[in-house]
Amino acid sequence: MGYLIAIVILCGINIVAALGVAILTGYTGLFTIGHAGFMALGGYMSAIMVKELNVPYPLALLIGGAFAGICSFIIGYPAFRSRLRGDYFAIATLGFSEAIRLLLNNTRGLGQSLQDSTSSFGQGASSLLIKLGGAFGYMNLPNVTNVWVVVVTVALAMFFAHMYVTSQYGKNSIAISQDEVAAEMMGVNLLKTKLISLFISAFYAGVAGGLLGFYFAYLSPSLFTITKSSDLLAAVVFGGIQSLIGPFITAFVLIGVPELLRTFAEWRLIIYGFLFVIVMIFRPQGLLGYVEMNFSFLGRWWNAIFRRKHTPSQKG
Amino acid sequence: MELFIQQLVSGISIGAIYSLLAVGYALVYSVYNFTNWAFDAFMAFGAFIAFTSISSLFLPFWAAGAISIVLTIILAVSAEKLAYSPLRARKAPRLFMMISAMGVNLAIVNIINLIYGGTFRKFPVDALQPIFIGNVSIGRTDLVAGGISFVVLALLWAFLYRTRWGLGVRASSIDILTASLMGINNNGVAIVVFTLTGILSSVAGIFYGIKYAVYPMMGMVTIKAMIASIVGGLGSLPAAIVGSMILGILETMVSGYISSTYRDLFSFLFLIVILLFFPNGLMGKSVEEKL
Amino acid sequence: MSEEILSIKNLTVDFGGVRAVNDVSLSLRKGEFIGLIGPNGAGKTTIFNLITNAFQPTSGEIIFKGQSILGKSPDQICRLGISRTFQNIRLFPQMTAYENVELGLHSTPRYSLAEAFIRTPRAARIEAETRKRAHELLEMVNLSQHANARASSLPYGLQRRLELARAMATSPELLLLDEPAAGMNEDECKELVQLIRQIHNTMGYTMIMIEHHMNVVMDLCRDSLIYVLNLGSLLAVGSPAEIQNNPDVIRAYLGERKNGRDNAHA
Repeated sequence: MGYLIAIVILCGINIVAALGVAILTGYTGLFTIGHAGFMALGGYMSAIMVKELNVPYPLALLIGGAFAGICSFIIGYPAFRSRLRGDYFAIATLGFSEAIRLLLNNTRGLGQSLQDSTSSFGQGASSLLIKLGGAFGYMNLPNVTNVWVVVVTVALAMFFAHMYVTSQYGKNSIAISQDEVAAEMMGVNLLKTKLISLFISAFYAGVAGGLLGFYFAYLSPSLFTITKSSDLLAAVVFGGIQSLIGPFITAFVLIGVPELLRTFAEWRLIIYGFLFVIVMIFRPQGLLGYVEMNFSFLGRWWNAIFRRKHTPSQKG
Repeated sequence: MELFIQQLVSGISIGAIYSLLAVGYALVYSVYNFTNWAFDAFMAFGAFIAFTSISSLFLPFWAAGAISIVLTIILAVSAEKLAYSPLRARKAPRLFMMISAMGVNLAIVNIINLIYGGTFRKFPVDALQPIFIGNVSIGRTDLVAGGISFVVLALLWAFLYRTRWGLGVRASSIDILTASLMGINNNGVAIVVFTLTGILSSVAGIFYGIKYAVYPMMGMVTIKAMIASIVGGLGSLPAAIVGSMILGILETMVSGYISSTYRDLFSFLFLIVILLFFPNGLMGKSVEEKL
Repeated sequence: MSEEILSIKNLTVDFGGVRAVNDVSLSLRKGEFIGLIGPNGAGKTTIFNLITNAFQPTSGEIIFKGQSILGKSPDQICRLGISRTFQNIRLFPQMTAYENVELGLHSTPRYSLAEAFIRTPRAARIEAETRKRAHELLEMVNLSQHANARASSLPYGLQRRLELARAMATSPELLLLDEPAAGMNEDECKELVQLIRQIHNTMGYTMIMIEHHMNVVMDLCRDSLIYVLNLGSLLAVGSPAEIQNNPDVIRAYLGERKNGRDNAHA
């Protein structure tokens, strides 16, 4: 039972992060392979808040999310402003998350080099950096993430994601993902709309990072590798473009099933890789692409199976 | 001063390896307008084939290199046939092309990881003694790696600008549709482009393996090549080489004078600065979309 | 005489050695409807792209409602009141017809981001108004029964009308139509002429229309001016009758054909 609960918790945390990727990649059409970096930023920030500054845990999660969101502008602003499309941004996300991981790996060394600093700020920064533990990890965090916290967070995350993607802001993002030039000509502010999507997306990842740290009771840079980013991307690719319920289900399956079948672990990424290609060739919209959360697809399935409603043939 | 010259030579050599990767990346980008994320997998594949040929089959270096190049070409062309061309055929959005390429990358890198494990291996060639000019020691490996990389780039240039097939590739990079209407065989161009990709990634993989180590994730270095081609200007071959040289030299200077720990961090900050102040790269042209 | 709304002065643009638009000036009064014609490659669409700042002119000025719009981004220009359709249709393919029109209405969101997350009564009311207006616009272009069809699944002619509705949704004062009748047969053209005339009369837009179907142009511009562009320069301006009898215009069109034949032989 304890084992199953552990899986539910891990799935829930990854669902929150995957929803973030869904908003960015699925709805706004921006390819990210660096969301692990935002998870790391949010995780470490909320851990520092709780452990060093005694900020209450829920508030710390929000601060972590907001921190990740603000940091995302470091890559978002230059990449979106240089009006060339997707590729710059995708490369920047990968570089950014690797840079974050490198920095976190070396916090001890950085801290030690600042030890001789005379200013009180330098001293404080030095001791904090040493506490973060570099590659060894940031240890002894309070173990406060439990299954209820995760369930509530997932429910809230799903609710707010739904509100966002069905709002005028979300619909503008969808238009950008379909034809950026036309969207701009019709009056959509590309930079602003993309930055909002990115902020929300990084916020989600940051909160997920915080949940993760307070579940494992430690954080280390090795939790936030490109493998983590690939897992999140996989959830969205398989779950479906422009869908929240799809990535929700696939995140559950992709995290849950491998946890249950440990021996499968080595093969997991290989299979994901082949599936990426197969899905793109045969079902690019993913499992539940373009399916909104109102479950109207159940009705359509019902019609398709039981009523055999004749669909008029397409013209043109 | 000695340190400076040593770093400069080392920087040019690493810049040459980046050039191979950046050119391969820019080649696919300029013709097909998408980022070939599988490039780093091709590179690791090429390095591991050469590694295995030498360490398990005891082949000489040149034979190992030849086998590696041939097999990497086959891999690259198969990836094109199986994963990219079906998407192009139905005009899939670029996002889908990138995801497909990412899939090829994940599959190959993790198959290598499954077979060899994630450890770092030394490339099985005898270390060449450095040459001393006065007090300056210059790595002979650097000279060989840099030299061969430049030869490969020169051959590539000759191919693109002195042969009919090269002309077909260049025409397709300007406008692939018009090129095909003018009688250029699109399938032929695709095979040529991915053959070149295979050669470039294999050579880069071998020399990168000799200079550092052979390991499944070694292809992560292609992010440097991508940064280099953005610095130069996306989609242009000479710009990719210039960007690679600048990045290689600056990086080696940072690791020589500051610390190698911050080398990668520096590259990334450099990318952000370039994006902020030269959104089209140092030599790139602004790309206009046809309405 | 009503006030001048758009004034283009000495507009020139070079594309790598090719002068696509050469020293073009034109001005439009509020509510006016003009036609822009010319052989292929004359620079007609380029002028639209310059007005909406898809790219920057080499020199010249574009003044809209008394202010220069050079250097403003396309979305800013749209908010100022210029909207357009595209020669190669650019709808949002996976969105429904209704959603395409709706986008034009909310491309500048009308409630705050916070309201988006908690959907206040005010936001809900705005959403309801937007919905109502989108359906009105679909009604206006006779697409109501296709509201829930995916844009890419609509027949060509309907896609053109949908683009028109989407452009109208941004509440423009100046509407640029780029070959609205392209690919339509005689009957469809007649319907379109009626539709455009009706829109022009009821909505009070100032309009510029690029069109190759001469019947459509002559019909819609019967009380106004036609501008003829050739090789990037303004060749003639006048009423339909004047244009039809202008020897320069006839030569430009015939010349194009002659050159075309020469090229084919070369």
